[in-house]
Amino acid sequence: MDPNTAANLLLTGLLRGGLYALMAVGLALVFGVMNICHFAHGEYYVLGAYAAYFAFVTYGLDPISSIIIASLLSFVAGVITDRLLFAPLRKRSKGDWVINAFLLTAGLSVVLQNVYRQVFGMRYRGITSYWDASVQILGLTVSADRVIAFGIALLAIAAMWIFLQKTRTGRAIRGVSQDEQGALLVGINLSSIHTLTFGLGSMLAGLGGASLLSLSPAYPYGGTKPLIASWFVVTIAGLGNVQGAVIAGFIVGLFESVSYFFLGQGWQEVASLALLILLLLFKPTGLFGTQIKSVWER
Amino acid sequence: MQQTTGAIPTCRSQAWPALVAKLNSLGLSLPILACLAVLAMAPLFVSDEYTLRLLVISLYFGSLAMTFDFTGGYINAVNFGFAAFVGLGAYAAALVAIHTALGAWAGLLAGALLTGLIGFFTGLLTLPLRGIYVSLMSWFVGMTLMALATAMEGVTRGARGLIVPPIYENATTTAYLYILLGMFLVVYIILRLILRSPVGLAFRAIGQNYDAAQASGVNPTRYKLLNFTISSACAGLFGGFYAHYVGIVTPDVMSMGYTLEVMALSFIGGSGSLLGGVFAAFLLIPLFDSLKRLTEFRLILYGLLLILVMIFYPAGLAGLYQTAIQKINLKRRKS
Repeated sequence: MDPNTAANLLLTGLLRGGLYALMAVGLALVFGVMNICHFAHGEYYVLGAYAAYFAFVTYGLDPISSIIIASLLSFVAGVITDRLLFAPLRKRSKGDWVINAFLLTAGLSVVLQNVYRQVFGMRYRGITSYWDASVQILGLTVSADRVIAFGIALLAIAAMWIFLQKTRTGRAIRGVSQDEQGALLVGINLSSIHTLTFGLGSMLAGLGGASLLSLSPAYPYGGTKPLIASWFVVTIAGLGNVQGAVIAGFIVGLFESVSYFFLGQGWQEVASLALLILLLLFKPTGLFGTQIKSVWER
Repeated sequence: MQQTTGAIPTCRSQAWPALVAKLNSLGLSLPILACLAVLAMAPLFVSDEYTLRLLVISLYFGSLAMTFDFTGGYINAVNFGFAAFVGLGAYAAALVAIHTALGAWAGLLAGALLTGLIGFFTGLLTLPLRGIYVSLMSWFVGMTLMALATAMEGVTRGARGLIVPPIYENATTTAYLYILLGMFLVVYIILRLILRSPVGLAFRAIGQNYDAAQASGVNPTRYKLLNFTISSACAGLFGGFYAHYVGIVTPDVMSMGYTLEVMALSFIGGSGSLLGGVFAAFLLIPLFDSLKRLTEFRLILYGLLLILVMIFYPAGLAGLYQTAIQKINLKRRKS
């Protein structure tokens, strides 16, 4: 393998890893705080992509405001989803929360995919590029879109990190993820934290979909691949582990680009899944998981 | 039994409850037998090919929902790669039918055995895992199987699919209906007998409270493995039927959409009831199909129904039936 190919693989892996990390952080957040195995995460990615497409193409807005509008819309969609579906389920659920919530998101995923299909049709809605430019990195020409999408992903993850660590609300979110009863006792409003968390998780997914519009067009079933990838990352990191998800995102991105190079499309998927199964076999809690038994193991 | 001088009527009046009790222990209570009889006699009155096909498809999805419920409703482990197991059985049956002269039945059996084996190994993989991890793991295994079916073009012809001969030459839809009904009955009785035995009790104990079951001496690992293997094998068996019935197997049969459809049927029918999913299938599939306009919205309706059932009525159709029976009994006792 000559250095040029190696650099190419490294770069593709890293750029891809950034998006995976972004999606996975949202998933891990929803998982860690609300104990929801979110199976419809990809559908918010698609929502973001559609929103960005219409803002950018139909209304002719500039790229940055399109992406911002798309992520805000995804946030609102997440908030509505939580109020409409998870809040009543939480009120009524007696003990079987994890599995019921999981099945609910599975139903939600089917509904959203087919609603997109009915509303927008089976057409691919994509753009060639947000920014008509390219950048030289490691002697390779990379389109500006990819680099900026990578930058947006890193920025969003960093912002989320600061929000969770430094602000009062962020601390409340972490408190709820550690101990719901305790959080309730110190006066945290559980239901608004849950709603906010789901909105933020959906926003990260929508942001991913919007910023990658030029690489993967908006399409009713376009959420499946990002969903699988982000689940992959979250499982490798250990369920609900937000920091681990970032590192695991890059690991998966690099592994995919390298195995794609050596094995080709079909067998690459097999290799990734085999890797994951092996990992779970030897370390069921994931790379960065703890030994503490959590709700979702019951 | 001790009657020696009894006249024929009393003899009959004793034999009848005994027979009913016997059938009950096989899971064939009178209402269920009546439903089966109606289904078995349907081809005598219906000659319309479309209706017959609808019956076969309903029974097929009902059988899958029942098999799914054996794992999902009893040991509380949702097999999220279910369609892949069905597809594996379909591929095995197809390959046997194409490459050997052993006949369709050997193919079905091979499908069941192979799928059972893969189910066993999936169970082994999920051994150290609990709760939601089992679903994740089976999802990943299912996706691996689908990726393999697509990638191994030399064996499966990839996305172009395998063409499968009919189960025997000139098999009619009516014949398929009876074959499927027979398979359904055999599988149902076996599953019911297992659930009535101490093994079934252990399954339910694990499903309801894992730690308590373990503390009272049930080995959760062994029972989970047993359950997973049985339900996978049944899924493979029905998959083999599907391959012959439809005549083509593509990797698409392993896709998530089918798992979701079966899962929705099983939960709408009521988890932990075996037959709930079958009734849900006979209710929903013809309904969605008859309203032609609804066919497009079929998956949306499935999803919405699943969401509504999960939020408002987790007991499903079976729960509705139970409450109705209880109310009738209460009224009877009062009067």
